[in-house]
Amino acid sequence: MGTATGIIRALNSGIKHLAIKRFTLRYPEEKLKFVGDGYQFDPSTGVGIAGLKGRHMLFHDHCTGCQLCSIACEGVAEAIAMVKVPEEQKQNKKSIMPQIDYGKCVFCGLCVDACPFYALYMTNDYELSSFTKEGLIYTPAQLAVKPYLSQDSEIQITDRGATHG
Amino acid sequence: MTDIMPPGLALKKVDERIMTLNVGPQHPGSGHMRIVVQIDGDYIVACDPDPGYVHRGEEKMAEYRNYITNVPHLERPVIHDSCNVLYPYVLGAEEILGIEVPERAKYVRVICSELNRCIYTMYWLAIYGIFLGHSTMFMWPAGDRELLIDLMEKVSGARVTHAHFIPGGVRNDLPANFEDVCLRQVNYFEKRIKEYAAVFYDNPILISRTRDTGVLTRENAIRYGTTGSVLRASGVDYDLRVKAPYDVYEELDVHTNVLKEGDSYARSKVPWLDMMESCNIIRQALQKMPKSGSVRTKLKPNPKTKGPATVYKRVESGRGSLGCYIVSDGKTEPYRVKMSVPSFRNLLAMPNLLIGEKLGNMPSVYWSLNYWPVEADR
Repeated sequence: MGTATGIIRALNSGIKHLAIKRFTLRYPEEKLKFVGDGYQFDPSTGVGIAGLKGRHMLFHDHCTGCQLCSIACEGVAEAIAMVKVPEEQKQNKKSIMPQIDYGKCVFCGLCVDACPFYALYMTNDYELSSFTKEGLIYTPAQLAVKPYLSQDSEIQITDRGATHG
Repeated sequence: MTDIMPPGLALKKVDERIMTLNVGPQHPGSGHMRIVVQIDGDYIVACDPDPGYVHRGEEKMAEYRNYITNVPHLERPVIHDSCNVLYPYVLGAEEILGIEVPERAKYVRVICSELNRCIYTMYWLAIYGIFLGHSTMFMWPAGDRELLIDLMEKVSGARVTHAHFIPGGVRNDLPANFEDVCLRQVNYFEKRIKEYAAVFYDNPILISRTRDTGVLTRENAIRYGTTGSVLRASGVDYDLRVKAPYDVYEELDVHTNVLKEGDSYARSKVPWLDMMESCNIIRQALQKMPKSGSVRTKLKPNPKTKGPATVYKRVESGRGSLGCYIVSDGKTEPYRVKMSVPSFRNLLAMPNLLIGEKLGNMPSVYWSLNYWPVEADR
């Protein structure tokens, strides 16, 4: 194949893409849809449930303050600190619950694997930016709030190429 | 080109014709590294690669963490290839802890490993494109990579640092309807990478820049201990998935791509051919995978080993043979974790390849060696 033919073929294969739909995800307007409600773990079988490893969700009525999540995080990111909570739960004698610093968290989900009481899960919320370092520290009360999400974009594959529809 | 050049050679006294040039320490898409070259006019006469700017002490860190908490940080050296980087450690830890892995988990691992190999290679290819000033080849792989990242995100819940492999299997089962989505996206991905031939691999501009530059002969490739795509581009048929199969690679039909030229062009083409082979392996694994069953052996959060033991496991990563040597003294933490990384072994060939080349050919030779500074420094 000659040089001129090769260059024309290369240009031609690029020009074909003018007729193909764009693949780009326009992020703030469109958001990717994920499987499930976030990464969860079933201690009875010892196997996780697939989902995005985003911000955590703490169920106050399950948490016993056993610190296993904090111990699991010790070797990874040291992001979890156990703090006093004002409320009184009957299963939580010491009234301590995890507080997570997302400035340190690496979102590996080993704390979710460590929890034997179905108290700590992860959610599909990944937009955690803040102007201050203190704003990244989520207290047990903040972690109990279910995030509001509007994620509906998925990869569609058609004859005219792939798009985020 | 000199035939034998000791790696990391010391700088000689500079005479009037020779200019010493510091290339870096810069971040060529993967981590900081420096190459000290001496040039006579436009030709490189001496070359001294200087790695070590991104040393993180991963191996030392592994001595203070137990076999489970080692998982999230040992994948950091190559985040784009995080499953493969973790693979030998996980295989070794399983042998030391004496855990059996469920059959389905092995297939899930193979699928994740092959997806990660493609994700890494696409990133590598994007950087190779922009190194040569070919911006289409930067945009296309960076976009098409998203198809596979989306699959890994569905499986593991994270885009790059998956922390998905764990001693005893994988963290979680595949999501519902994953087989169909995976097949559809992988087939489309394969169709897309075949289009790269016209725009990149058959492009006369690329061929004129990479053909016959940095020729690594078969003998030298073996002598310097290179591995992976660099070794296969020099005509050595060596792929651990075929030569020393781990997990379920024995049951899969893996074809090794070998090119004889040993120049930058062959080294840039072998990973591209490997990606198509990876697509084949993913399709086979999806077909042969048991449709149900456990994917993880239940394990304590702080498992104890049975006694002193040593183990060495290796896998074929996106860059080549990647080994992990674990010494256990019977405690909950490993006594020593040592990784034998392909990046460093491929780097050893660089002084030999660059001497006698023009300075302008340095990017094409450097990045075709499949060298990842962070992995070499760990």
